[in-house]
This record gives sequence, structure tokens and C-alpha cells, in this order.
Amino acid sequence: MYSRAIVRSFLARPSAYNKLAANSSTAAVFQAEPKAPVQGVMQVREDKIVGRDIVGYGLNGEPQYFDSITFPFPSVRFMKNTPEIVALRVKEKGDWKKLSIEEKKKLYRASFCQTLVEVDAPTGEWKAIFGWVMVWISIAVFSFVGVRKFLTSTADDPTLSLEYRQAQLKRMIDLRVDPIDGLSSNWDYEKNTWKS
Amino acid sequence: MFPSVVRALSRGVVAVGRQSAMKPITAVSARFMSEHKEETDEEFYSRYESFFNRSDIDGWEARKAMNDLAGQDAIAEPKVIIAALKACRRLNDYALAIRFLENVRIKSEIDKSIYPYILQEISPCLQELGIDTPEALGYDKPELALDDVDHIY
Repeated sequence: MYSRAIVRSFLARPSAYNKLAANSSTAAVFQAEPKAPVQGVMQVREDKIVGRDIVGYGLNGEPQYFDSITFPFPSVRFMKNTPEIVALRVKEKGDWKKLSIEEKKKLYRASFCQTLVEVDAPTGEWKAIFGWVMVWISIAVFSFVGVRKFLTSTADDPTLSLEYRQAQLKRMIDLRVDPIDGLSSNWDYEKNTWKS
Repeated sequence: MFPSVVRALSRGVVAVGRQSAMKPITAVSARFMSEHKEETDEEFYSRYESFFNRSDIDGWEARKAMNDLAGQDAIAEPKVIIAALKACRRLNDYALAIRFLENVRIKSEIDKSIYPYILQEISPCLQELGIDTPEALGYDKPELALDDVDHIY
């Protein structure tokens, strides 16, 4: 909000407005060379399309180039209007049967960066992703195994010895743990032995 | 004059009152909702066809219509494609025509029988205007590779 207020007050000054208008997208189309950027907020993006035709609405009405299947027609032509392409455009006004395949391709690449098939083409990136997933999974498995094998030891824990465990079982029986269908239900307290 | 007006008015009020007493007003349920009519496919395609057939169509409008068609969950009918290609010819934009055909081709991939049918229907127009199919230009397969901008830096 604060920055917008700054922009708005900046634009309110007539000198700044005139400078921006002179560098705006409409004017930018007809400039062969980019102008020195005016100190301002809106210049950076606009300067990138200098020398290119703004031809349509595109993705959202902004003058920007973007290859996409769902919006195949961007608002800006991809390449600048070099003399070579301008000459081709003049030829394009005539019969299209007289254009060679190279010229047609050149015209296409002047308007668009990638063909739609190229946009959709597999990048092979999945291999890198798969590889990295495998690397991290193996690191995790090896650390788990290593920790269990080398860092945690149960051998010197007295509470895991047979006597301790038998003592604990005895105490659980004395406390009548789970008397209905569990441990103590299997203990015969009169004969002091397991029920057969 | 004035009293008579008053009298006439009062009589009117009485009359209205009496009438309503005798004949109760029945509530008419009229809801003022918009009448939404579903557009048939036929109307949809003729709308686009006539749009492309406009003689004063410019590049902005053609691209907008093509973008809209690309966004539809449908493949344009051959008559719409022909109209669009002719619009491209009038606009002297060869790349636009190829791009449109490419888009049609990609959308047709859902069913193998669609694209041959479309090609068969539009081939007279293609030959008349001198437009190549995307296959003839080699655009049915990736021609150039582009580094992903996210991986450049």
C-alpha cells in the first residue's frame, strides 16, 4: 500500500508522467534502440520489449512474452523487428506459396520462441529428481542402520537381562495386570502356576 | 372543480377498496431472474466463425479469439479453422496461422481420428492460401531445445 502511494505520487508529477508516457509500451514498439531507462518503477519490464510489436491481449493484457499451451498467443512478438525480419514481413504480404520453408520458419520464430510441441517436450528432469530421491532415501536408510548397529547397544543394559524381565513378569502378576482376558487371567493364584 | 376531483379520487379509493374486498388479490409469483439460455455447439462455432469472417478483424481480436478457443474444452470445427486461417491471411501473419494449426493438432491428440478428419476438411483451404501443416514444417516434433530459465543461473 505504502509503495503504491509512492508510485502514485511519483506519477502525479507531470514531468515524471511525460517521461513514462514517452517510454511506455506503445511508444516502445517503434523504438529501434532501447532508451536510457528513466529512474522509475515501471521502466524495467517495459524496456525488455523495446523494438518488438505488441500484437494482442496475451495472457492477461500485459505486454509480455510467455509460451504456454493454454494461451498460445502471447501479446508480444518474441523477436525484435530487425531489418531482415521487416523485409520478410513485406514478403509475407504477398503470396504465401512463394515463401520458402526457411523463411516460414524464420517468420514463425520471429513471432514465437518455442513451438507448442517444444513447450510440451519432456525435459528428462524426472531422472534427476528420481536420482536425488534415491540418494536421500539411501542416506536415511544407512543412517538408520548405522545408528542401530553402532550407536545404540542393548548388550550392557541390565534391565533387559532375563532376571530383570522375569522379576517384572512376577510383579505384573502380583499387580493382577489385565485380569479378565489378559496376562493375569492365565495365572492360577491358588496353585501359583500358569493355568493349563 | 377541485372538490369534484377530490370526490372522484375518494370514489376511486372506495371503489378500489370495495373491489379488493370482493375479489381478493391473488399473488402472482413472477420472479425476475435472468433467462439464461445454454448456447448450443452449433451457435458457439458459428459465433466464432462469423467473428473470424469479419472483414475488419485485427490481430488483437484474432489472437484473443484464438486464445479463447484454445482455452475451450473443445476442438474447433473445420469451418472455424478455415475462417481463422483466412483471417490470418487477411492479417498477413503466417506465424499466427501455423501456431493456430499447432494448437488444433495438439488438442486433437485425445483421439487419433480427429486430426486426419480436420486435415481432410481444411486441406483445400491450406492449398489455396499456401499454408503448410505443422508436420510439413517439422513442428510435430520438437525442433530446438531451450534451457529451462530456472536452470540457467
